[in-house]
Amino acid sequence: MAGNAQEGRTSRIGNVLIRAAITLSMVATLNFVLFRVIPGDPAALLLGGARMSVSAERIEAQRQNWGLDRPLFPDQILDYLSATLHGDLGYSFKFRGRLVSDLIWERLPATIALVGLAQLIAMLCGVMLGLYAGWRRGGAVDRIAMGASLALYSTPSFWLAMVLVVIFSTALGWFPGYGIYSPGASIGSTDKILDYLRHLALPVAAVALGLIGQYVVVARAAMSDVVTEDYMVTARAKGLTNGQMLMRHAFRNAMLPLVTLITLNLGYVVAGAITVEAVFAWPGIGGLTVEALNARDYPVLQGIFLLLGVSIVAANLLADLAYGILDPRIRQ
Amino acid sequence: MSESIVRYSSRSRARAIKSFLSNLLGHAGAQLGLLCLVFFLVLSAVPNILVGPLETVATATGDFLVPPSSQHLLGTDEVGRDVLNLVVHGARISLTIALLATVISLVVGTTVGITAGYYGGRVDVWLMRLTDFFFVMPSFVLALVITPVVLEVMGRGREILGFRPSLFVILVVIGITSWAFVARIVRSQTLSLKERTFIDRARVVGSSNLSIMVRHILPNLVPQIAANGALVVAGAIYVETSLSFLGLGDPLQPSWGTLLSLAQRAGAASTGAWWYLGAPGLCALAVSLSFVLVGNALDDTFNPRQRVIP
Repeated sequence: MAGNAQEGRTSRIGNVLIRAAITLSMVATLNFVLFRVIPGDPAALLLGGARMSVSAERIEAQRQNWGLDRPLFPDQILDYLSATLHGDLGYSFKFRGRLVSDLIWERLPATIALVGLAQLIAMLCGVMLGLYAGWRRGGAVDRIAMGASLALYSTPSFWLAMVLVVIFSTALGWFPGYGIYSPGASIGSTDKILDYLRHLALPVAAVALGLIGQYVVVARAAMSDVVTEDYMVTARAKGLTNGQMLMRHAFRNAMLPLVTLITLNLGYVVAGAITVEAVFAWPGIGGLTVEALNARDYPVLQGIFLLLGVSIVAANLLADLAYGILDPRIRQ
Repeated sequence: MSESIVRYSSRSRARAIKSFLSNLLGHAGAQLGLLCLVFFLVLSAVPNILVGPLETVATATGDFLVPPSSQHLLGTDEVGRDVLNLVVHGARISLTIALLATVISLVVGTTVGITAGYYGGRVDVWLMRLTDFFFVMPSFVLALVITPVVLEVMGRGREILGFRPSLFVILVVIGITSWAFVARIVRSQTLSLKERTFIDRARVVGSSNLSIMVRHILPNLVPQIAANGALVVAGAIYVETSLSFLGLGDPLQPSWGTLLSLAQRAGAASTGAWWYLGAPGLCALAVSLSFVLVGNALDDTFNPRQRVIP
């Protein structure tokens, strides 16, 4: 029996890994194909863009140098895959001569700070509120929380961001509504951190509010499923108090679907953060996306797509593995 | 689920429809949602009668960024166009894109789901791997890279079916990237439906696979497809608004997202022009919330677990 369980677990993990690998290879293929169907010669585009004219010999030499004269399949796609695996994402069109990987690397910390903090706040507030609403289903808190959550859930987060700017920055003047540091602010380290946090407040609030709506809905559903289970009736019959029932039985079982959902959510969090960053000119991946879109800087766009694809697949992998560890029923 | 063996007369069918409607309208959320949707559908059906033709920079009627007044109920934008006029015309564009994208995604999702569930085996494995990809990658992220490339390939030439090319591309891209969740639900329903006796009966009578899928399985899927379709519309509005906000929309046929993008570029938030960014955002919120409410109510009404057995 033990051998069987072990085998079942290995094959489940194998399955999960195969699915992740297939998704990743589709992301890479899409990246390769999309870049190739754009009209215009890549060499000419990279050397001079649409505006500058470059001599035909130079383009031809560069085509040979980059291997663009070789067949697309299998030569070029293999080259592309091996370069991507080595972290070489090519050069940006807009920022001439800059490596795409460098550009993304520079912008990553700002996005991680924004998304991480928002995710943390949303998890604390949203999950707690949702679990409570599900526990006291039909109560006043439940009704208000559900109504507000559905509204937040249907609101584009960038619009929420614009509304926050109008209220808290333009009208009340409490928080800055633009950028990451105040220009000409003092260089003192404490002041700088405070300034950074003040700039972070509104973007984080916008991303977090959008997420809270989602988490309340999911946490409430998870809790209401648990509350109607037979073991809750048993717990009540045993004479456990409400608090004991909540902590020992309901909470732990309701957390199970939540853990995976929060991990799986990463793609949507980043997607929301991209538009919010555009509102605040936040110098993260979202800001870079908007610049790349406006300049039709395809290499950067492809690099961002690859980054998002890899992180989403990694999050899924994590969620699948975590579920296996957290839920003993799957382990067996 | 005993309906399938009950032979409906036209009278009992009418009664079933009536009881379904009264169940659905028993939800306060559904009433609110439907009312709101009817309002926006009227707006988008006859925008010209309500607020006149779409104002352009040349035909703008007001001063720049004027707050709401009796002449301009929702104020004006940075070139003096009436915001009410823009928002009502935006309703038509936003709703059409969202609904057509949903139609595409429901057709693709249902086809993939039924085929995978019905045939099983290898077909199922490969179709579900494809579905996994679209399930994992958010529609917005995919559309973000696909839309600009397809636009570049097609060029910004003539209108397609009355849409400017960029809007047409957006609606198709949203449609083909947001079907995975429908496909999964349809597949799991098909898996249980195909084991039922009426499918065997149809096969014995000599129905082809296609006919079994279309005439016997598909009608039984309508409840799930309808409930999830409403949620797909809400998602499509979200994606369309976000894409247009990032500048992928078309300023000549402005949707709500494009209006928000214009408002952002005009600095509406930092100059306190709340009417300019408030109106399109509230409309998008209202429509998307309405579809979520109607979808939830449909799900409640159809969900067999909660149905009280008569």
